[in-house]
Amino acid sequence: MLEAFVDGLLLVLHWKAFAFMLAGIGVGFWVGLLPGLGGATTLALMLPFIYNMQPVEAFAFLLGMHSVVATTGDITSILFGVPGEATTAAIILDGHAMAKKGEAGRALGAALASSLIGALIGAAALALAIPIVRPLVLTFGSPELFMLAVVGLAFIASLSGQGARGMVRGFLAGGLGLFLAMVGQDPQAGVARFTLDTLYLWQGLDLVPVLVGLFALPEIIDLVVRGTSIAGNVPAGNISKGALEGVKDAFRHFWLTVRCSLIGTFIGITPGLGGAVAQWMAYGHATQSARNTEERKGFGEGDVRGVIGPGAACNSKEGGALIPTIAFGVPGSTSMAILLGGFFLLGLVPGPDMLTKHLPVTFSMVWTIVLANLITVALCFVLLNRLTALTAVPGHLLVPVILVLVFIGSYTGNNNYADIVVTLVFGAVGYFMVLAGWPRAPLVLGLVLGKIAENYLYISVARYDWAWLTRPVVMVLILIAVAVVVYPAIQAWRQRSRA
Amino acid sequence: MKLRTWVAALAAVLPLPVAAQSFQGKTVTIVVGYKAGGGYDATARLLARYLPKHIPGKPTVIVQNMPGANSIIAANHIYNVAKPDGLTIGTFNRNLPIAQLTGVQGVKYDITKFQWIGSAANETTVLAIRSDLPYKNFDELRKSKERLVIGSTGPGANTHDFPLLLKDLLGINIKLVSGYSSSADIMLAVERKEVDGRAGSYTSLRPFIDRKLVKPIVRARSSEKSVANLPMDEDFAPNPRAKAIMALRSAPEQVARPYVLPPATPADIVKVMRQAFEAAIKDPECEKEAAKAQLDLEFTPGDQAQKILAEVLKQPKDIVDEFSKYIKFGE
Repeated sequence: MLEAFVDGLLLVLHWKAFAFMLAGIGVGFWVGLLPGLGGATTLALMLPFIYNMQPVEAFAFLLGMHSVVATTGDITSILFGVPGEATTAAIILDGHAMAKKGEAGRALGAALASSLIGALIGAAALALAIPIVRPLVLTFGSPELFMLAVVGLAFIASLSGQGARGMVRGFLAGGLGLFLAMVGQDPQAGVARFTLDTLYLWQGLDLVPVLVGLFALPEIIDLVVRGTSIAGNVPAGNISKGALEGVKDAFRHFWLTVRCSLIGTFIGITPGLGGAVAQWMAYGHATQSARNTEERKGFGEGDVRGVIGPGAACNSKEGGALIPTIAFGVPGSTSMAILLGGFFLLGLVPGPDMLTKHLPVTFSMVWTIVLANLITVALCFVLLNRLTALTAVPGHLLVPVILVLVFIGSYTGNNNYADIVVTLVFGAVGYFMVLAGWPRAPLVLGLVLGKIAENYLYISVARYDWAWLTRPVVMVLILIAVAVVVYPAIQAWRQRSRA
Repeated sequence: MKLRTWVAALAAVLPLPVAAQSFQGKTVTIVVGYKAGGGYDATARLLARYLPKHIPGKPTVIVQNMPGANSIIAANHIYNVAKPDGLTIGTFNRNLPIAQLTGVQGVKYDITKFQWIGSAANETTVLAIRSDLPYKNFDELRKSKERLVIGSTGPGANTHDFPLLLKDLLGINIKLVSGYSSSADIMLAVERKEVDGRAGSYTSLRPFIDRKLVKPIVRARSSEKSVANLPMDEDFAPNPRAKAIMALRSAPEQVARPYVLPPATPADIVKVMRQAFEAAIKDPECEKEAAKAQLDLEFTPGDQAQKILAEVLKQPKDIVDEFSKYIKFGE
């Protein structure tokens, strides 16, 4: 085992594999920065290049690319409020708020440091989990997956505003999200639901145009209305010092970083939940770390913990997501499905063999994730001054560029003009939600989890009738869901009784 | 067939005025009706690398994804919008004839009026069940009273429709559990014994069959030799109508990776493309790569594909009505 661990590292450090990894990082860096253009599409485009590579080189290339996409996606999200990837939207809430306060450097520092820690923890979890991977994944059947989705939805409670009014708004927004998740052909009877007689909506709403509209457009409108640069008229201050402060933040809240990393890894391991979920659950968890209502109010207005949480989860889930792909040949996301195609091209058969005979190759993947993230984060710190300077550029120069990128980004969702319409519609929805003080996070959580919850509930009941409720893991998850919902209420009550 | 060979031979020998057929310096786009990453996409991307060698003038061939409505959007585009100049090729859901047959809203094409290049592969749907189940063969399963739980992705997919017909037409005691997000997800459910098996194309199940997780037990109509010794669903049909419905469901699988040109494309371009596809698919290097990527390529010429699909659309109304009761267009 230990030998394979070291062998894996040596495999990646071979000059050829290393060079391919650097090439992959170069590609992934830009793909992550550009909004909309997804990691999955790029992986599919790059797949033909691996035909003549050795397995380790090929995975160094593909994984190197894949594992930096989320890191640089965070940068776009923080600087411009435009989700660089569908998996990096949650970091906008506090990250971009910080950028608007002139703290872009600190936000970036915190995001980079936490995503590096997250990647390391995810990789470590993957390495440690290898002996117990199969029983671990097999414990989670459809009833458990349904309950995980419910736990995710329960985080709406902590993503909503304070007080009864805030809760109601949060749950209404979450309900709207669940409703939007219903759009499209349903997988049980094949009925087309809420498709407005269009072909476009048959397959449901695509996440990228919705997220881009919901988060990017309100920020752009805001920027135009204010007529200043993103950072307003706040003096930029010493950027490197800010970034250092951000790095320190990640360590100041070290256990939060660790917990959010573990959330990410865990979501990654469970196939079927999808990468977009992890960041929101981590963000929800981060808001729970607020000790009183005063602190809680700060979330969404630039609390650094709201950056650390999703930042850590975003990269740690990649290590986790590799587990079902390697051990069962069951990909947890589109990107992993494409990676799986890469396995076959290279003549490797995912399955138990990858954990025994080909263990060094498996560990070389772990190392690739670690090294690629180290290199990217180092690179980002070098470029930090340039990147942060963008927040001081006058809005009227920045907006046209961002708008073009935003619309190209959402158009790549389906190469369909309706993508643009969806972006605009959700841009309007997002703008009015911000104006009226309604939280957007619950809506996204509902949209992301709706389909999963619906399908796995159906499967659970169809397969086990009511017996699914008596499964031990399900019962534990029910308790966790209740705890997550009740926690903000208890917190508020405790504070009141103290006062 | 003989005439075709003659024409092909003549075309090879005589330096025909090829100006109209040369694609030199041009870009041929293959429009795929799905997002990047699936089987249709993988096949198109593989062919895009070998086609230039076999098309006169060695054009650049690129792949463009146009997903949506289980590829009806792409088919409508090729039929109504794309220029018939041979520079746009479409590949889409093999079940589009079913959408047309059952009158799905939004269909704006007539599948038989496309200029068919052909099909790059054929698929066989099989039902595979967990190897640790006691049934040695299909007969034992048929006679068993025990309930068999089969996972599916949803109506319109072969993971769903094939076992559905086994259940409703052959009376096998199957409980169909639908809603898994992908066929790989069902495999995981098989592994944790949540379900007893799944239906799907033989190629996609083969790694799991080789690993002895599941064993194939019954198949649909097929021309693949590797599954020829499995019993075929149609042979157990209680009446001709049931047989016709099963045959209708499996017919598009012989045209599993359809490639078409817009309806008004001139015959000489169609001919060039058919030859190019055939040559590319039979290219030994392409075959080698396809085998690596677990894609089983086999060329069915356009005229033959067209004939198969015309047969599908010729069904009498009562069969179509009965068929629509069971089968919905999807995936």
